[in-house]
Amino acid sequence: MSDNVSSRIEIAAEVGDPATDPWWEFRQVERITLELSQGYKYSLGKYSRFFIELENQRFLATRCDYCAKVYAPPRPLCPVCLEPTAWTQLSGEGAVETWSVLHFSPGSNADVRALETPYVLAYVLLDGADTLFPHLLKAPPDQVERGLRVRVAYSGEPVQHPIHQMYFVPME
Amino acid sequence: MADPPVVAAVGSTAIASEHRGCNARDLMAEAILDCLADAGMDDLSAVEHGLASYESDHFNLQMTLGAILQDTIGLTPKPSARIEGGGATGALALRAAWAHVVSGLCDSILVYGVEKNGRGVSSRTANQLFALSADVDWEFMIGGTYTGFYAAMIRAHMAAFGTTEEQFAHVAVRNRRNAGFNPIAQKPMDITVDDVLASLPIAEPYKLLDCSLLSDGAACVLLATKDWARAHCPRFSERPPVYFSASGCGTDTMRLGDRYPQIANFRAKREAARQAYAMAGISQPLAEIDVAELYDSYSGVEIQAVEDLGFVAAGEGGPAVASGAFDLDGDLPVNTSGGLLGRGAPVGATGILQAIEVAQQLWEGVDARRQAPGARRGLTDTHAGIASISVVNIFERRD
Repeated sequence: MSDNVSSRIEIAAEVGDPATDPWWEFRQVERITLELSQGYKYSLGKYSRFFIELENQRFLATRCDYCAKVYAPPRPLCPVCLEPTAWTQLSGEGAVETWSVLHFSPGSNADVRALETPYVLAYVLLDGADTLFPHLLKAPPDQVERGLRVRVAYSGEPVQHPIHQMYFVPME
Repeated sequence: MADPPVVAAVGSTAIASEHRGCNARDLMAEAILDCLADAGMDDLSAVEHGLASYESDHFNLQMTLGAILQDTIGLTPKPSARIEGGGATGALALRAAWAHVVSGLCDSILVYGVEKNGRGVSSRTANQLFALSADVDWEFMIGGTYTGFYAAMIRAHMAAFGTTEEQFAHVAVRNRRNAGFNPIAQKPMDITVDDVLASLPIAEPYKLLDCSLLSDGAACVLLATKDWARAHCPRFSERPPVYFSASGCGTDTMRLGDRYPQIANFRAKREAARQAYAMAGISQPLAEIDVAELYDSYSGVEIQAVEDLGFVAAGEGGPAVASGAFDLDGDLPVNTSGGLLGRGAPVGATGILQAIEVAQQLWEGVDARRQAPGARRGLTDTHAGIASISVVNIFERRD
């Protein structure tokens, strides 16, 4: 096997009764634990400028010139008008619309999504936007409420995925 | 339009946290044998078409599983396809099969679904794999999980209508109690609202007992014209005919935030119900539907569903559920099978299991303790993600 695959094999004991079990001859079970790791190299496509500008601590959205709707997260194509949108900068300030306090992190160890628990997943209506932007809100869970004013903070550190260059914090 | 198909026969495995001795194809084979017995058929040689229903290529470590399943159950060289629509997969496959029969493309089609989600990977990895069905760069990478997305939705529902945690705990209690009357159910439990409220927080306001199960299981439904079923299924005439009479499907934006300000309910579900009711000639769903299997991926989702399906007005789902209106002895028994919370949710088989429960209810063939008396028309509600795809299928008994 190649370098990024390892395996462990376990075999379980027979069970069942040959008199009543039609599958008795098939009751031995061998189970393999496979460890696979896969790397992905994929393009962020027409979203790229959003992530590039995060590094410059600028928060971009897109605006449709036809229906005036402002998309944050950005959409390169307005799904209503089917016209290309235009980049527009937002202040990065907004208000919590809804949220959840998560007590389990979906990632582990070196995973890109490993997070200290509990953490707050917030949907924020950014000033000037017409959609909600979901991200981590670094705030004590018991202080989060609907309407809480928050702003985009920039991590300024090397990250594994460019969306981690930002998160939300409560406004002072 | 041609007559809709009948449910000619059904089959399933028990639903379990793990069928350790079976891989996906083994499970599928066991469900098919159960279906053969139900039909009174010796083999599948008369069946004209297959349709494979499974969600995940990741869990099975196997792509093109649909071709393997078709091979396993001996349906080659007949036509088949794989249908995939996240959590809605099974219901979407049935909807596609409906069109196959009504269009005249075939007179019989076996819809077979399977999933091995239980213990093949850790819960954490399972959560990761499911979260990959969110928008990866915008929702997955920030630490989003479906439990979190659903939690944010029900919190918006609570803010809009005053829905309470006690109200959705009632769903968790009732569906697990109903599962106790279903021999294939994965996790029947006799619990109280207080037990639910005291269970471990997962993604507030959802707690452990508000969350549905990861499951292994398989199920299949043989759909056919009534003439075909009469000619080929020896046991078909033993039961009153049940027609798959109507189907609706709706969609919505992938990300919850893009639905703002409508984030407390499921627009796709309203659209699917509107279509299905128009096709079935239903104008008063609460009065005209006798039994329903709803997609209770989380307890509060059932509250949102009874509103979006038009059983009660928007905002009235919480009080209605807590009043017992949807209990076994209520106005409209829902999730008599135990639902995703109690029976379990092997994704590609889930929508098929829902259809089986409704058909068996209409045949008056389930355990008397969960039988909806005199049921003539039933509904299934199944969705993907946070209802980015929603399917409503309707079944009717016509003696």
